[in-house]
Amino acid sequence: MSGPARRGGLGWLVRPRSPLDPSPLNMAVSYAILGFWAFVVLFPLYWVFITSFKQPIDVADGPFYLLWVDFQPSMHAWKYIFVDLGHDTFRPYLNTVIVSLTSSAIALILGSMAGYGLARMQYRPRLGSIALFVVSIGLAVAAVVGLGVGWPIALAAALALFVLLVQTIGRRFRRSLGNDDIAFWMISQRILPPVAVVIPVYVLFQQIGLRDSLAALVITYVAVNLPIVVWLMRDFFQSIPIELEESAMIDGASRFTIFRSIVLPISRPSLASAFLLMLILTWNEYLLALMLSTANTQTLPLLIAAQNATRGPQWWYMSVLILIMIVPVVAMAVALERYIRRGMLIGAVKG
Amino acid sequence: MKAGIGQAGAVSALALLLAGGIALWSGTAAAQLKHEGVEATVMTFTGPQIAEPLQRRAPDFKELTGATINVVTVPFSDLYSKLLTDFATGTNSIDGMVFAPQWMGDYIEPGYLEDLTERVNADDAIQWDDVAPFFRDFSATYNGRIYTIPLDGDFQMVYYRSDLLDEAGLAPPKTWEDYIEIARTFHGQDLNGDDKADYGSCIAKKRNAQSYWMVISVAGGFLQSQGTGQGAFFNTEDMGPLFNNEAFGKALDIYAETTQYGPPDEINLDVGDTRGLFTSGRCALSVDWGDIGTLAIDPATSKVQDKVGAVILPGSSQVLDRETGQLVDCDAERCPHAVDGINHAPFAAFGGWSGAVNANSSDEVKAAVYDFFSYMSQPEQANEDVTIGITGFNPYRVSQFENLDLWLKAGMSEAAAKDYLGAIADSLNNPNMVLDLRIPQNQRYEQIVLDTAIHRMLAGEIDRDQAMADIETGWNEITEELGAEEQLEAYKATLGIRAD
Amino acid sequence: MAARDDQAALASLARAPAPVRSRLWDGLTRRLDQHAPTVFIMPAVLVVLAMSIFPLLVSLYLSLSRFRFVKGGFELKFIGLLNYRKLLLGSEQFHFLGTFGELSAAGWAVLGIAAFGLIALLVRYARGEGYTPAGLLWRAGASAGVFLLVLLIVLTNSGNGHPGSLVVTLFYVGIGVLAQYCIGLGLALLCAQNLPGRKFFRVVFFLPMMITPVGIAYTFRMLSDTTKGPFTPIWQYFGWTETSWLVDPWGARLAVMIGDAWQWIPFMFVVLLVAIESQPQDQREAALVDGASRWQVFRYVTWPAILPVTVTVVLIRMIEAFKIIDLPNVLTNGGPGIASESMTLHAYVAWRALDLGGSTAVAYLLLFVVVFVCLSMLALTRPAESEARP
Repeated sequence: MSGPARRGGLGWLVRPRSPLDPSPLNMAVSYAILGFWAFVVLFPLYWVFITSFKQPIDVADGPFYLLWVDFQPSMHAWKYIFVDLGHDTFRPYLNTVIVSLTSSAIALILGSMAGYGLARMQYRPRLGSIALFVVSIGLAVAAVVGLGVGWPIALAAALALFVLLVQTIGRRFRRSLGNDDIAFWMISQRILPPVAVVIPVYVLFQQIGLRDSLAALVITYVAVNLPIVVWLMRDFFQSIPIELEESAMIDGASRFTIFRSIVLPISRPSLASAFLLMLILTWNEYLLALMLSTANTQTLPLLIAAQNATRGPQWWYMSVLILIMIVPVVAMAVALERYIRRGMLIGAVKG
Repeated sequence: MKAGIGQAGAVSALALLLAGGIALWSGTAAAQLKHEGVEATVMTFTGPQIAEPLQRRAPDFKELTGATINVVTVPFSDLYSKLLTDFATGTNSIDGMVFAPQWMGDYIEPGYLEDLTERVNADDAIQWDDVAPFFRDFSATYNGRIYTIPLDGDFQMVYYRSDLLDEAGLAPPKTWEDYIEIARTFHGQDLNGDDKADYGSCIAKKRNAQSYWMVISVAGGFLQSQGTGQGAFFNTEDMGPLFNNEAFGKALDIYAETTQYGPPDEINLDVGDTRGLFTSGRCALSVDWGDIGTLAIDPATSKVQDKVGAVILPGSSQVLDRETGQLVDCDAERCPHAVDGINHAPFAAFGGWSGAVNANSSDEVKAAVYDFFSYMSQPEQANEDVTIGITGFNPYRVSQFENLDLWLKAGMSEAAAKDYLGAIADSLNNPNMVLDLRIPQNQRYEQIVLDTAIHRMLAGEIDRDQAMADIETGWNEITEELGAEEQLEAYKATLGIRAD
Repeated sequence: MAARDDQAALASLARAPAPVRSRLWDGLTRRLDQHAPTVFIMPAVLVVLAMSIFPLLVSLYLSLSRFRFVKGGFELKFIGLLNYRKLLLGSEQFHFLGTFGELSAAGWAVLGIAAFGLIALLVRYARGEGYTPAGLLWRAGASAGVFLLVLLIVLTNSGNGHPGSLVVTLFYVGIGVLAQYCIGLGLALLCAQNLPGRKFFRVVFFLPMMITPVGIAYTFRMLSDTTKGPFTPIWQYFGWTETSWLVDPWGARLAVMIGDAWQWIPFMFVVLLVAIESQPQDQREAALVDGASRWQVFRYVTWPAILPVTVTVVLIRMIEAFKIIDLPNVLTNGGPGIASESMTLHAYVAWRALDLGGSTAVAYLLLFVVVFVCLSMLALTRPAESEARP
């Protein structure tokens, strides 16, 4: 049913063709705002793009905007990064790709499972058990650091102690926490800035013997970024109507089957977004990569920071590095965008 | 038949002899390679400065000695923490490093650096006596023992636009008052023909960057006059800071005044920015390390080729009387090294990139790494590298600035080369050079307390006296925390005042 | 309809005769299903736990000790709360909290309003249902904490007071995240409409988030240069080339906030867009057909539905914003003076100079403040959230 009949004058501007579409005025304003923001987004990228073709003197002499018009493009920065540095650019690139993809995939699997658990199942970890666990581990840490006990022994002893205490004292304490507390504990892991834990993490991997490997970075990134995935997925799962799963449970399907066959397919847009987010976070991380890497395991953000040497920022090299860092992530985003969009249709039709 | 066997026998005998000869020959040839099969890791910051010559010459070194040197780089601002983490945690994956001698204080006490005195004494090729006295006797030593091999000479100078000063009939600045005068004269004029007002003086004043060294460059001439061993940071009696008195106050006033004749965002400019400004012709004066000299002759970056002069850091005709804390006039006794009554104190800021060896590596690796640094420092290699801008190596050997040819070959005009090298020679040969602070945790003294107080003063948050009081309080607190006795011992050790 | 297909498929799965499997396998899967809750959550919990306990305990110990090199190695000496005292009451107070100025009339007014508002909230809670003495005590404590923060902000910004890294970080988070959310929501709403070509916008708006923060910091440093940056003609037109906004305290903070907003609005945008578009459209369409204005549709249909996601995304963004470091580090190095220094930058500079005790103390104070703010926020929004959920 359309609205009141069109009158003359400017009424047509604010009355849309159908109630579901935005009115022409709405559309114009929307396009204006969206266009403005697109400019805000694209202009710095354009600036980085042309800076990668500039000579140092073009940068120092004041703003030049247009290739070939204001200044002559030069390939010296590109040549330096790809030819002169060559292998030194390729290896960090490869490392970044491997580390990001691996840690994002692992975190997505673990995180979506945990998010589903937090959304649909009841957890009641007992406060007493948690306290005992922390105390046991604390004793183990003190033993390793203070008394020089080997860490496998200390860890085994701590776990044994924990199990023992839980069976005995642990039963006394009834008070328990809930799902929300677990979720909050997870996200609170993100609060402490990495600079505070960098050296202990370094020592941790050194003791385990993984210091020089990509595995150290992967494990660290998974642990550091898991909370975000868990939160995002938990939220999304909570917003799916529960009837679907309930009817399946009545029919006798196991929780794993439900998760795999019903919930996951519906959640594709969220999964895709979470994966992309994690990819971005691990692709661009600097401080942990700096400390945990050596020559062979360096990643790209280190290269960018390294362009600010004692001579001052080498804007042209930096621009090239920024550009080659963005390209794969953009490609991945465009690829995943299909999933996000396709997922929309399923979501739109359900219910 | 017999003849055939005989022939075969002769041929095989000959072949055997030949094979044996070749084996012997290659065996002896192999035995001549001193460090055959040794692999070592040397860490420095991501260049191309400093890292480039190391990476370029490593293959040559391998041919000569058989040792493989892997040059590993990390971003500059994190080199210090990366090295120390590797040593302190016992990882010891790094066998040698090219770093700032200023950091020595934190590395020697815990025993991370190898004492190189014996090796240097036994090494003729390095031509140790050719190294300028300051680097040889102070920068490379601690408590009388040698710990680093200098590869680069870092000290600050004043650069000026020779064409502008010539036109105005002005002499290069000898005192800081001269410097201010010249800056005032040229500030606001168009200095490079682009119709934009330019600046009298460009000094990098950004926080957490290099500006605290610039302050010390200004203050050195007021604080130290009796030679390097007198020190410019603390008095050697009781570790009292020398940065809260009339002399340092005057230096701060001068430093603040230069801001008036500089770019509008000078307190947010880093050395990269000020060098860019100077080489595009927008500054009449600047204070910097040796880089401007080599940047100015590069046609890709510079519009002031052949218009750049360099001069030793301006000094002062008044110095600090440490008893009274007052500024007093120079005389023969107080300022024995004064030139025309002006006390200059060139400042070896940062110390000059040098190579050092990890004491906890294996003996054969240590020998190989030492030989590598010796190789890099020998005049055949070093004298060529210091003329190439991209290496980041600045002159530090006497032989390097006596020979103009290399510099002319690099593109400097004769006048510019004489001028640049003259300024360097003046500074290097000056017995009153200021040694940068090298006591344990010197970064806390300089980079945190000093830098923050100076920047707050420049930003107008606090005034000059408050800044000096903050510096003194902050430094005393750190000294207390780390142990006044130990800090004093360390300070005296870096100045070469032997513990015996 | 997709959902019904899923249901049918599942039903058939459950009814179909199982192929011959070993009893072991059957028993295993049944046992696994019984423990499904544990199996789902334990891997994640274990990974996070393993990587967090050791570093947390060690860095806590570091914050209570003093690090220095001695003959033969290094020494970690336990000094109790001295590092914290230095930051809150001692020689680093100007750096962390700030210097206090004299209160002006406006300052008193702000304090008065804050006190009044907090007391009013307390009274409302005391009078309402669900009141417990423990709850009141906890809320009173939280209110006191909020008031102290407000007091700190007011004191360091009046007269000739200068804010320290704590207050500066609060500015970055409070103003920054609010602006990012509003702009992100606006863009998401616009893009959720049926506009042709919106896919282009969706991809483009996502770009800033993908650039490494260090890269963005350097990009904005290029952009904000008043003599060489691309906006120089604009500055020249206004006659501002003789100044630099990075040299003014609020200019520096603004530059950091703009850079941060530019980078993280895509995050808000994407998550909110997914949330908005995942909502069943029928309610919205029915309302529109019935003649409701777009504003009414937003307020009564869309907003309650995206409220849970809003809380999540604001919480996540807030936690990340408290840790801001790359932008202040590259743009201004914390200058002028200490005007744009965030707490993480404060900790990082101390860490680089090997003041490990001081650095971890700042980090832990940051932890306390953020936990406090997050808990308060969650407590405030939880009642509203449970109403909105179906």
